[in-house]
Amino acid sequence: MNEYTRGNFKAGFKTLLSTKLRSFWTMLGIIIGVASVITVIGIGSGIKQQVSHQIQHLGRDVIVIRPGELHGSTGLDALSGLNVSGALSSKDVNVVKNVNGVSSVAPISISVAKITRDKIPYYNNLLIGTNGDLPGLLNQSIAYGSFFTYEDEGSKAAVLGDKVAKRIFDEELPLGRTFYYNGQEFIVRGILNEMNTTPLTEQADFNDAIFIQDQVAQELSKNTAPIYQILARPEDPKQYKAVAEKIQNSLYKSHGYQNNFKVITGGKDYDSNGTVLSLLTQMIAGVASISLLVGGVGIMNVMYVSVAERLHEIGIRKAIGATNKQIVSQFVTEASIISLVGGVLGVILAFFINILLRIFSDLKPVMSIELIVLAIFISVIIGIIFGSFPAIKAARKNPIDALRS
Amino acid sequence: MALIELQDVSKLYGFGDATTLALDEVNLTIEKGEFVAVMGPSGCGKSTLMNIIGLLDRPSHGKYRLQAKSVETLRPNQSAKLRRDTIGFIFQSYNLVPRLNVLDNVALPLMYKGVSVTNRIKQASAMLERVGIQEREYFMPNQLSGGQLQCAAIARALINNPKLIVADEPTGNLDSESSRLVMELLADIHKNGNTVIFVTHNPELTRYATRVVYMHDGSIIHDEKTVIGRVASTAKKVAEKSLTSDEEHLLAGVSTMMKTFPTKDSESKTKSRKKPLKGKKKS
Repeated sequence: MNEYTRGNFKAGFKTLLSTKLRSFWTMLGIIIGVASVITVIGIGSGIKQQVSHQIQHLGRDVIVIRPGELHGSTGLDALSGLNVSGALSSKDVNVVKNVNGVSSVAPISISVAKITRDKIPYYNNLLIGTNGDLPGLLNQSIAYGSFFTYEDEGSKAAVLGDKVAKRIFDEELPLGRTFYYNGQEFIVRGILNEMNTTPLTEQADFNDAIFIQDQVAQELSKNTAPIYQILARPEDPKQYKAVAEKIQNSLYKSHGYQNNFKVITGGKDYDSNGTVLSLLTQMIAGVASISLLVGGVGIMNVMYVSVAERLHEIGIRKAIGATNKQIVSQFVTEASIISLVGGVLGVILAFFINILLRIFSDLKPVMSIELIVLAIFISVIIGIIFGSFPAIKAARKNPIDALRS
Repeated sequence: MALIELQDVSKLYGFGDATTLALDEVNLTIEKGEFVAVMGPSGCGKSTLMNIIGLLDRPSHGKYRLQAKSVETLRPNQSAKLRRDTIGFIFQSYNLVPRLNVLDNVALPLMYKGVSVTNRIKQASAMLERVGIQEREYFMPNQLSGGQLQCAAIARALINNPKLIVADEPTGNLDSESSRLVMELLADIHKNGNTVIFVTHNPELTRYATRVVYMHDGSIIHDEKTVIGRVASTAKKVAEKSLTSDEEHLLAGVSTMMKTFPTKDSESKTKSRKKPLKGKKKS
């Protein structure tokens, strides 16, 4: 920054301070624009982050296999019986397990069932059939006891989600206690830590689920508990894509060359939610950026007035030897200071809105440094663009014409 | 080589039927080191001439050579640099930037030249000392008297050490004491070898000049050399004439001198008016 521009900055701030109220009204457009853009984008990326948090919880390198039909199992499909509930079966689990490069596989079957404890019935319990690989795949830790392993195959052991333990059993640590399901006695072997997100699905709350052996679940429900999905993890995370392809091919073969399943990689499924979300975010951000533009027009207006008001001063400055460029840079500096301060105030406003949203709603808007810098940068650019029109007009005046006004 | 050469310079204002001729083919040559007084009734084109000489305005017709260089072909940037480095312009209404203090005002041409902050403050302060108002350097323009403002304006005009000082009625708004001070300053500048051109209505002030130019209706009607310290002979006649002649001349020519009397009167009048008003409020 040379001596001249430094002088301009000083003078610009002086002008701002001497016309506080007017400068504030000018800034208001920019402030609202910047605050709304940051808030909207922040809410959008906040929701995205929550979703991606779930994906991360699942583990980035986990391959998800889902039945193709189950996804649309509402309305007509369900009525016409086209919903092939058994699209994925225990057989598929074995197929996936035998694929080269797969280290662990866990099925997840879901059924809703009545259980009884000490002859008291409890209805609508989420029963999840799975195997010993699940905690590893979900990165889920166990609070008390242990998860069942492959050695327990066929045994009636159960692991409880955090909520179930409190809901069904009165005590904090119901390890070793029993309950009945379909006439079979199950022993509680472990209790999971609370999951902060509910992975895999929005409807099923894993904190409120009872985990039993998949094999047992299939037997007891007479094969009506559909396998909602199969999770698999490759040995080498780098081979992720290749392994997913292998799984796809093996399943395709074993399903008789039918594509009634989906192999989901890289959390793509969750990304589809994200795409809709980011489209929405983009749209709202577009609307919000219009208010930024309006703020820019406001700056232009005020700069025109300011130029007209200070034409005499411009005349003086030109008379004592200011070049057109120097006059332009003075006014452009002023306009960009207005928009810079406006941008910063907008960020501060957005920050407060963020805090209020976090307190009074479930939204968790994210304010990233990049977004803040970008918003301020854009507002300064707007100031420069819209400030330069009046400034150029002012600078081109004949010195004596400017002086006479 | 003449510093200023005007050749058939005309200036027109307005368009069509409303056109007025402010300067009518003026020819004027001013050598380096001259102290020129320009006299004439209001509206005779003195200020227009000053503006053209000071590069604030451009002639409609004719040629103007400053330092033997034709001005017509100058780009806006180049003439701005000439105004900054070669010409110091002093206005009747001072024209200080109201939002800047005296020191910043004086340092302004240096800022446009790109001098560093400390240097320009130093230079400006020294220049204010030279014009005798250094103790007011941090005052805002609206806190100074007319004479002090004009001194600051002169300091600003001198800061880049210009060859040419153009002053358009520098004493027009000043009382006789301040006028004397300002003229002494200009005389001082002249002694240092600078060329000074100034406009005045006051024949007394021709004492300072080495040359007096008389204008009427956009033309130069008389041009005489004079000796420093003596009122120019023609100016004397004008002054004597104006005292006895018609009202128009009186208002135009001696308005400066008359200012001292009515202000004293009006002051005493307002004071006497205020007192009974206050009395009424109290009762």
